[in-house]
Order: sequence, then structure tokens, then C-alpha cells
Amino acid sequence: MQKRTRNRFIGGLIAGLALVTLSLTVFGPQVRDYFSELALFNQNEVVVVTHDSAAFPQELLDEFKAETGLTVTQLKAGDTGSMVNKLVLTKDAPIGDVVYGIDNTFAAVALNNSILEKLPAAETEKYLEEINFADVCINYDKEWFSINEIVPPKTIADLTKPAYTGLTVLTNPTTSSPGLAFLASTVAIFGDAGWQQYWQALKLNEVKIAAGWEDAYFTDFSGSSGKGAYPIVLSYTTSPAFEIRDNGESQTASFLNDCFRQREFAGILNGAKNPTGAQKFITFMTQLKFQEALPDSNYVYPILADAKLPDTWTDFAPAAKTTVGDELQIDASRKTWFTQWGQIFDVN
Amino acid sequence: MKTIRLIGLWAAPLIFIAVLFYWPLVNIISRGLEANWFVVYFEAATLRAIWFTIWQAALSTLIALVIGIPSAYVLYRKRFFGQRFIRALITVPLVLPTIVVAIVFSSFRAEHEIYTSLGLGFFFENSIYWIIAAHVFVNYSLVVRIIGGVWVNLDNETEEAASLAGAGRFKTTVAVTLPQLKTAVVSAGSLTFLFCSSSYGIILILGGGLVQSIETQIATAALQFLDLQKAAALALLQTAITAIAFLISESISRTPVGIEIVDETTQKPSVDWRDWPAIAITAFMAIGMIAIPLVLVLVKAFTFEGALSFQNFENLAGRGDRDLLNISVGAATLNTLRNVAISTVIAMALGVLISYLLSRSLRSRKSKAAHRVIDVLFLIPIGISSVVLSFGYLITFGSGPLPLRESWLVVPIVQSLMALPLVVRIVYPALVSIGTEHREAAAMAGASASETWWSIEAGIIRSVILTAAGFAMIAGIGEFGAASLLAYGDQATLPTVLYALISRPGEQNFGMAMAVCAILIAMTFILVLAVSARNPRRRSLVAQ
Repeated sequence: MQKRTRNRFIGGLIAGLALVTLSLTVFGPQVRDYFSELALFNQNEVVVVTHDSAAFPQELLDEFKAETGLTVTQLKAGDTGSMVNKLVLTKDAPIGDVVYGIDNTFAAVALNNSILEKLPAAETEKYLEEINFADVCINYDKEWFSINEIVPPKTIADLTKPAYTGLTVLTNPTTSSPGLAFLASTVAIFGDAGWQQYWQALKLNEVKIAAGWEDAYFTDFSGSSGKGAYPIVLSYTTSPAFEIRDNGESQTASFLNDCFRQREFAGILNGAKNPTGAQKFITFMTQLKFQEALPDSNYVYPILADAKLPDTWTDFAPAAKTTVGDELQIDASRKTWFTQWGQIFDVN
Repeated sequence: MKTIRLIGLWAAPLIFIAVLFYWPLVNIISRGLEANWFVVYFEAATLRAIWFTIWQAALSTLIALVIGIPSAYVLYRKRFFGQRFIRALITVPLVLPTIVVAIVFSSFRAEHEIYTSLGLGFFFENSIYWIIAAHVFVNYSLVVRIIGGVWVNLDNETEEAASLAGAGRFKTTVAVTLPQLKTAVVSAGSLTFLFCSSSYGIILILGGGLVQSIETQIATAALQFLDLQKAAALALLQTAITAIAFLISESISRTPVGIEIVDETTQKPSVDWRDWPAIAITAFMAIGMIAIPLVLVLVKAFTFEGALSFQNFENLAGRGDRDLLNISVGAATLNTLRNVAISTVIAMALGVLISYLLSRSLRSRKSKAAHRVIDVLFLIPIGISSVVLSFGYLITFGSGPLPLRESWLVVPIVQSLMALPLVVRIVYPALVSIGTEHREAAAMAGASASETWWSIEAGIIRSVILTAAGFAMIAGIGEFGAASLLAYGDQATLPTVLYALISRPGEQNFGMAMAVCAILIAMTFILVLAVSARNPRRRSLVAQ
């Protein structure tokens, strides 16, 4: 009898352990939340959701803390597209207070799904505050073209010419945001009727499609650290500022016409735990100090006209002279474009 | 009384899987299935993706079987010096995180333009060949292990009789042995097919976003377009493929086949020259396809700026070039170890319990049918896209009664769900294979069920349980899909930081990624070797 009791006890123990594990996993977070709310942690913290490429210099965050008493926690949530989608899926219980890095290709998704609160500091009804911009454009390796005695291309249309066969690496628009920007600029330039023809001509001209900008720029491009085989690459107008050689000249150059302007915005998440703190941080981002830090920390142009650019930028990385594609309904057309683009480039 | 206790024991795993797997799954799928949800299946792009998924999985499976069977013969039916080492070596690809496999292949590919010079440029250029090669690389060892595990225990009297009667070795194998191995071949084939048809990381990285399978279409629909309808419709299709593959294998092989060997009693003949075709195939796979790529990764891990160096390993204390990562690789390792500890404990506790319960009371037809259903219920997580499940989590556990999403526990829970079917697949067949005699004998002697379990069965299959724990740990270490969606900020795991590092090239990040791969390769090799070193002990236990 005693033995049987012991065995039953052991059997019960297994079931018990499983149940304890289950209930701990289930109620653990609630218990934790209860205590964290008691301690009023949240009032001194602003959680800023960003894409993976955004960076805040620590001294600026320290300064913000000294001014407002608020600690900034940055939460990287994937590339811009996955970040916005994650915010849409979690809008009932937002994962942060501020979102920074939504760009003009994804702004419509954010607005249509009402993940944002009206900015209290704005005079009119406004949900997004523009912080910075970057111009997506074709770059080329000046050194390669002078060694091979070929005249570098001047426009996007040149890339389909026989002189540039097998020289260009672009990025997949379905997996990379500059890729989408470039696709949009080809739609803007060649129109709904002509852009597919243009891409077909690019394919015939042996263009390489890389999965992401990093692969294309750092591995395949001949003018950067990877010293790849392709002297023409899709990048940003700012990139030549990072390829300055010992002679003080940049090895690369960017087109300055027909570029696509990616504008990046910040907003307050609907249902944010700390909306006041969120507004304070957004205001801080629009002020001179933060704006002047943007080129070095995020490789983008500040939106504030008074902000001073680094010297290398004024010499080698001016913003584009003309841009295209601002009028396109990118969110509405994206799916159709990708399907049509996939018909040209998909392997299977 | 007994029934009540049985129900009580069943309650824990059933509640666990119902709440943490089927609830979010049903939630996401029901959200997607609105009017006309099935039109997705007739879009040209979807049809192409479905066709590709099926033919590449079928072809990968076929190749893995064709080269796996001769290797199973050499490695399990024969005996030679260094056999155990080779067995451990070929198991490494199976247990390596798929993201590491993809990285190994893409770095191998990047350096081997040799194919172009050999006139095989089409092979070098076309990512589909690389995807199939990677699938064979991973599943070859699965095939060898499953088939070898059955082959090793096959008595060789029929074969000896056939060869005495003058049949050649090849003929004997085809005519006599292969039919006896049918069950194992079908099991191995269907598992391989499942792995290949639900493959995500390998197709994503090696395909460069230009190769579309059902799984990548699910990810695109869900991650890019928030098109839950399409994602759900495709997820249903993926589930149906899993279920069909499972049912086919069940209808051909009645007894479950595991991926670990329980017994190894007979002395095997040593290899001789007549085995040369099998040896050649095995040597080609073990050296050319497995050892060389893995060694290349190790070499790259110890190379920095063209010289031999430990710099890549020293860099792991940091957060990569330009502080790319939210946390250091070291901190991510700690997260992974913590998650793995928790997910292994959950998967083992529930998996062993489920196997125990499944192996009981198989007498009545009703309970057999019930067991079939339950078996499938716990197997389905293996075929479900972790992307879909993670979306289910985001929706179901974001707010409401279980705000689990904000907790770091969410990742180990999903990982335990992925490891659970593996544990059951390993422990349950072992329990069935030891038969019911000693259980009945013990019952006659007046022992209770739990007494029998603790003092007899648990002892016999102890090493199998350890193996299952090893596999559960390995599954947890490598899990990528769920972690990439659910673990952000300071909760990043090794595979997610690995993906971040590899998708931002630049020498420092690439070197760090190689160093992480090297550590993972070494870790899995040691784990596998440790598990297989327990074989002699297993033999003596059974002999008792």
C-alpha cells in the first residue's frame, strides 16, 4: 500500500510538473507585468521602434535624458516593411511608444491601419513628422571606367546599352527597400506601359539581381570593400562620401538626376504607454543637434535646412538634383509590380 | 481509477498543445479564410510555387535515398575502422541549424567559379541546383540513420542463404534485403520529403529571393503584404501536404520507425573489395560534400585579413560593424542557452509522457484509432510554417487573457513545440520496440505501472531518452523562423544574429558569422559523438 502511494505520487509528480510548467509559462508575464506596473517603470522610459539600420549616438540620448529625465530604449524590428507590418499586427498592444523610420513607400500602410496617434504638438491634423531623407540612385566605379577606357553611363536608360553588358548589379525589389525605390523610379520614368520592357532589356543585358543592398554594394560592386566584379551598382547619392581614397578623391560617383527620394518619418503609436514622452522625443529629433548627427549616424540627409552637412558630403555626396516617383501610389501598386517583376526575374 | 489517472496524464500534453499550438494556428487560419480564399491556388505565381515545392522535394528525396542506401549499408551493415567517427561526421549536417547550412553553401558557391571553367556554368548560376544540393546534404544523414538503424538489426540468415545459393551481393541486396527495408525506406523518404517541402531558410538564402516555394510565398504574403488570407490559404495547403505525406508513410509502414537505434547486438562482417561502389558513394559524400565544406568554414573562421588569426572570435564580444546587433553575440549565446534549457525540459517532459501513454493499451481498436489521431496531433507542428505560427502568436497572445507575446518565454515555448514531435518520434518507437513481455512479467509479479516504468523501461531506453534530449537541444539551438519574428531587442538568439551578420557583409561581420558557424559545427559534432559513444552501454543494458 505504501509503495503504491509512492508510485502514485511519482506519477502525479510528472503531471504536476507539466502543469506547473504550463501555468508558469501562461501566467508568468501577467505576474511580471503586475509588478512592473506597480513600480511605475514606464513613466520614465520611451521605447522607440526603428528599422535595423537606424542608430542613435549615445551622447544625444544622454543629453535627452538630462533635459527630460526620460530614458530612450531602441527596439530594432527588422527592415522597414517588417517593422511596419509588425506594428500593424500588434496594434492592440503596441510594442513601443514612438516609431521612427517609416518611409514614404510604407506610410500609407501605417495610416490606413491607424497604428498612429495624432501628433499633439502639431497645429493641423498630422500623424507623421518628417525627420530625414535619402536619395536612391545608380553609383559607378570611376576608377574601373577610367582603367578600362569606357565612358561611364549617365542615365538609367543607358544601362541597357551593349557597352554596359554584364556590368550592373541591382537589388531585388521584393526583398530590399532601395530595390523597391529603384523599381518605382523606373515606373515613373518609363510609365506603366514601358517599365517591364526596360527591365526585360536589363535582363538581356545581363544585369545581376542581389537579394539585398549589402550584398550588392559590399560584395558585388567593384568600387567598395568587396572589390567585386560589377562597376555599376544601385545605392545612394551619399555612398561616394564613404569611398574616399588616399588621394582625397572618391573612387565612386553617383547619378544626380532621376533619383528616388526616400523620406523617413516618426510618429506616436496608438495606445502608447508614454505618449507625452513620445512627443518629447519626436520634437528632440527635429532639433538641430539631432539633425546634424544624422549624416554620420544614419547616412541620411537631415530635413532641417539649417543643419550643417559634413565637408565630405558637400564635396562628394550632394543630394540629388532631380527626383522622380513622388506622385506614385506605391502601396496600392506594390503587389502588381512585384508579380510582374517576378515574371521577368523569378528562377522557377 | 486507472482510466481517470490516464486521462489526468493525457491532460497536461493535450492542454499544452491545444492552447499553445492549435489555438493560435486556428486563430490565424480562420482570420484568413474569408470568401473566395481558395482563388489564391489558381494564381499563376502560386501554381509555380506549388509545382516547384513538390518537384524539388521529390527530387531531393530521391537523390538522398539513392545515395543514402549504399551508405547505410557500409556504415551500419559492415564494420571498419573509424566507422563511428564517419557516422558522427555525416550526422552533423542533419543537426546543424539550417541557416548555417545555407551559409556554408553560399560561401562555398561564392568561391567556386571552377564550375564555370568546367563548362558547368549553368550549375553554378542556377540557384535551384544549390538548393537541392543543400537539401540532400541535410537529409542524407537522416536517410542513412533511419535505414541503417533498421538494417543493423536485420538478421542476415536469408542473405547468407541467398549468397550460398550463388546470388551476387548486389543481387542479394536488391532482391532480398531491400524488400525487408521497405518500411524504413518509406519512413526516411517521407520525412525527407517533409523537411524539403517545408524548407524556408535554405530557399530564402540560396535562392536570393528569386526562387518561390509555398513556404517563401507564405512569408512574402504575411511579412510583406499582411495578406493573411493568402498566407492562411497557403498554410492550409502546406498542412495538407504534411498530412498526406504522413498518411502515405503510415499506410505503408505499420510500425513507427525511429531515427535512433535501440539495439546493436550482432557482430558485423568487415568491408571488403566487393563493396567498392557503396564505399565510393559514401566516401564521396562524407569527404566531398560534408567534410570539405565544413572544414572550409573552419578555415574562414580562423582567417582575418588574409592571415591566420583569432580576431573573428575576439570580435564576438562586440555587436558587429557599426553596432549592427542589438546585443553582443555572447549575450545572444546566453539567450540561446537559456531558451534551449527551457524548451528541452518542456519537450522532454511532455514528449516522454506522450510516448509512454501512446505505447500503453494498444489492445482495443478504438484506442488504436484514438492513438493514431493523437500521434498525428503531435506530429503536425513539424510541418507547420513557423512563420504562420509566429503570426498566430502575435495575434493571439498580444493582448487578451494570455499576454504571452511580451515575455521572452514565447520563444522557448515555440521551440519546444518544434522539438516535441522529434522527441516523440525517437522515444515512442524505442518504447514499442522493447515489446510488452517484461511489462507483463512485472505486472504478474505485482508491480504497478509506474514501478515498471521507472525500474525497467526507463532504464532500457535511457540512452534513447538522452539522444532525444540531444536532438531537442539541437533543434532549439538552430530554430530560426520563430525566433526571427518573436525575439527582438535584447532577446535575439544565435541564429537571428547570425542572419543579421550574414545579410550585412563587410569583412568583420562575415568573419564573425563564420566564427559563430564554426562554434556551432564543433558543438554539434561533439554532441553527436558523445551521444553515439554510449552505444556499448546500451548493448549491455539490453543483454541484462
